[in-house]
Amino acid sequence: MTELLVKNACVFDPLNGISMEMMDISIRDGRVVESVSATADVIDAHGCLTLPGGIDSHSHVCGTKVNFGRYMSPEDMRAGRTARRGKMHITSGYYVPTTYGNSYRYSTMGYTTVLEGAMAPLEARHTHEEFTATPHQDMMANTLFDGNWAIMEAVQKRDTRRAAAIVAWMLSAVKGYSIKLTNPGGTEAWGWGEDLTSIHELVPNFNVTPAEIITTMIAANELLHLPHSVHLHCNNLGKPGNYETTLETFDLVPDRNNGRQTLYATHVQFHAYGGTTWRNINSKAEEITRSVNAKPQIVMDMGQIMFGRTMTMTADGPMEFNLYCLHHNKWSNHDVELETASGIIPVLYSKKSLVNCVMWAIGLELALLTKNPYQCLLATDNPNGAPFVKYPEIIGLLMSKRYRDEEFATLHEGTGQRTVISSIDREMDWNEVAIMTRAGQAKALGIIPQGKGHLGVGAEADIAIYPIRCRDVDPSTEYRKVIEGFQKTMYTIKRGRIIARDGEVIVEGANSTFWVNPSVPEEISVASDPEFVKKFEEYYTVRMGNYPVQDVYLPRGKCIRTEAVL
Amino acid sequence: MRVILETKKRIKPFLPVEAESIIPRNFLKGTDLTVYEGNKERALSELFWIFVEGTAVSPDKVEIVLKGDTARIKRVGEYMDTGAIRIVGNIGMHCGNFMSGGLIEIGGNADAWLGREMLDGSIVCHGDAGHYCASGYRGEKHGMKGGRVEVMGNAGDFCAEYLTGGDVYIHGSCGDMAGVEMKGGQLVIGGDAIRPCGNMKNGTCVILGRVHKMIPTFEKTERRVLPEWNITADVFKGDVANRGKGTLMIKIPELIQ
Repeated sequence: MTELLVKNACVFDPLNGISMEMMDISIRDGRVVESVSATADVIDAHGCLTLPGGIDSHSHVCGTKVNFGRYMSPEDMRAGRTARRGKMHITSGYYVPTTYGNSYRYSTMGYTTVLEGAMAPLEARHTHEEFTATPHQDMMANTLFDGNWAIMEAVQKRDTRRAAAIVAWMLSAVKGYSIKLTNPGGTEAWGWGEDLTSIHELVPNFNVTPAEIITTMIAANELLHLPHSVHLHCNNLGKPGNYETTLETFDLVPDRNNGRQTLYATHVQFHAYGGTTWRNINSKAEEITRSVNAKPQIVMDMGQIMFGRTMTMTADGPMEFNLYCLHHNKWSNHDVELETASGIIPVLYSKKSLVNCVMWAIGLELALLTKNPYQCLLATDNPNGAPFVKYPEIIGLLMSKRYRDEEFATLHEGTGQRTVISSIDREMDWNEVAIMTRAGQAKALGIIPQGKGHLGVGAEADIAIYPIRCRDVDPSTEYRKVIEGFQKTMYTIKRGRIIARDGEVIVEGANSTFWVNPSVPEEISVASDPEFVKKFEEYYTVRMGNYPVQDVYLPRGKCIRTEAVL
Repeated sequence: MRVILETKKRIKPFLPVEAESIIPRNFLKGTDLTVYEGNKERALSELFWIFVEGTAVSPDKVEIVLKGDTARIKRVGEYMDTGAIRIVGNIGMHCGNFMSGGLIEIGGNADAWLGREMLDGSIVCHGDAGHYCASGYRGEKHGMKGGRVEVMGNAGDFCAEYLTGGDVYIHGSCGDMAGVEMKGGQLVIGGDAIRPCGNMKNGTCVILGRVHKMIPTFEKTERRVLPEWNITADVFKGDVANRGKGTLMIKIPELIQ
């Protein structure tokens, strides 16, 4: 039995309605409890800001795509080098760091749970191996279904039950967590060198539209009672004028779940562009947020960009090709058999570029114009918008109008005409930041039952203590203190164990990987369905028996079982 | 001021020495410097006999002379900005990386990555240079941006890769892919070259010897007399495969003229 007592903590815990309360937190065996004995180890937080461990609901840190980014950018390994020190492995890299680099940097920022944004089911083993090597964060994997042939056939037959059965089998086979749709239909069209420009266009050879895929998958998701909703990367990413597609997509979403959203729209900044070309691009964040404010069934994340070098990586192959045509830089393109596609190119977001400045403004506008912070979460789509180490700066921007104005003054002079950022006075408070980085993310991902995102009795003791005395610091003027504070925790506690202290990771990690095993009735299960098996053996390059990820790939896997109602 | 560093006999002479501290500016304050031998940090005096002649008030008056078995000493002159380094024999890899001023003179051969990502200054190598002479780093989009590299002997593969500015003059022949991805500057090859200037964007390359396996995506524009080199050359534009605007000039052998 290990016990820990955190004294004099200034706690924000939005899910339990606690806001700036001085209290002690008792921890026994990795869980928050009512009280501990007098022999417990004691940490004095000295009245500093104490939050539940941070959660990143959309980040690309593990898997084949990320690793190919590492292959492509040997020059990135010149940055961020640290030598082996104590329990810390050597690390290197800035925007595509080594797995330990990711893990340590997340830990020192107080993040303890991360959702990998896109895992191609066929390449799940690699993702799980890298999860094991990201030792300080609990991991989950979004599983890609956007161009899945079996799913599209089910959609074509309007058979939601079959789609649900396929999802159930795939998720349990590859140990995934939730349904990710990346440019649904578009990634399959990309296999034929095409892209879809609207959600009502037909996918070649399948006679289905992205709209049908999205609605069927939402229905299937709710039939299976998955903890997370459908996680959608809308069609037409990064094209001027794409906000209309995004609004159309949002209009498709029914309110089907009382506990959480029905659709998680990711990196919406990339989907909120007006105009017709790159020359007249402008912000449509107001239209998007008007829609989201009226639809409690939708949660989005910012997909904020920050200026500097980074790497874009996504399953959205055609989009990356368009980006390649703009930059003529290194480019990788990949097709994953019957499932999806992917593309990677490095980018530089520059303040001299009007387009980049508009993108920067849109992300912030989305967050500031969304009334309910549970509906717009903080993320950069790491590393697409910016590496996650920029989160503290984004928090600073959200909390301080003055900081925004100072940054705005350094941007391209045309930014003001195309955005509304300079007219927004809202400054987020500590509670809203806690929601955008913890509570909201836990709720959206459906991991509150796993004890994530709050500090009530029974919660997992994932705690971040930042060296910020929030009673004395005024974030709107002293934003530098806020940024510095969020960059380096005093203590990061993971499952009751102190893992990082003052920016130094001090123990070996032991994370777990959450995965979902939805049980469906035997008669509709696809595992023994002759048609499914036949097509699988015919089209895949692997045998169906070799497809499922063995348990050995998840040394600390935690299975969440759900009962499907079919 | 002249600092003479003569190598001492080492127990393991093949262990590379990482000597980025050997630049003129560092010797103004004395010779109390360290280098890495393998993964062990050593005082400079453990590896070298150090002789200092005269004094200097500014780093540009400092001259370093390296003698002895210096072929495994790497990164000499990295980030050097002024002064001079003279190497009597051969030098190891990465000599003159990121150099922004001053002079490096090498009496023998230089190993790979000579003058990588150099900004300014001058390197003269009297022997041969290894692969990636005057090039960029793996994955980086810009190589050497300024200054001058002159090699009296031959150079290895990927000479002047991603050359963005400055002059590179190889008196001998180059290996495969010289001037690949060039974006600016001038590359002159006195001898032969294999597959030169692939994916060239801009800049000028003059080849005074023969070209083997010429890349087909270059467009011949004219035949011109180049008085500067006293030759008649075919002038090519390219690499047209990627809309490059580089100039590749290749001497026509006298027989054909």
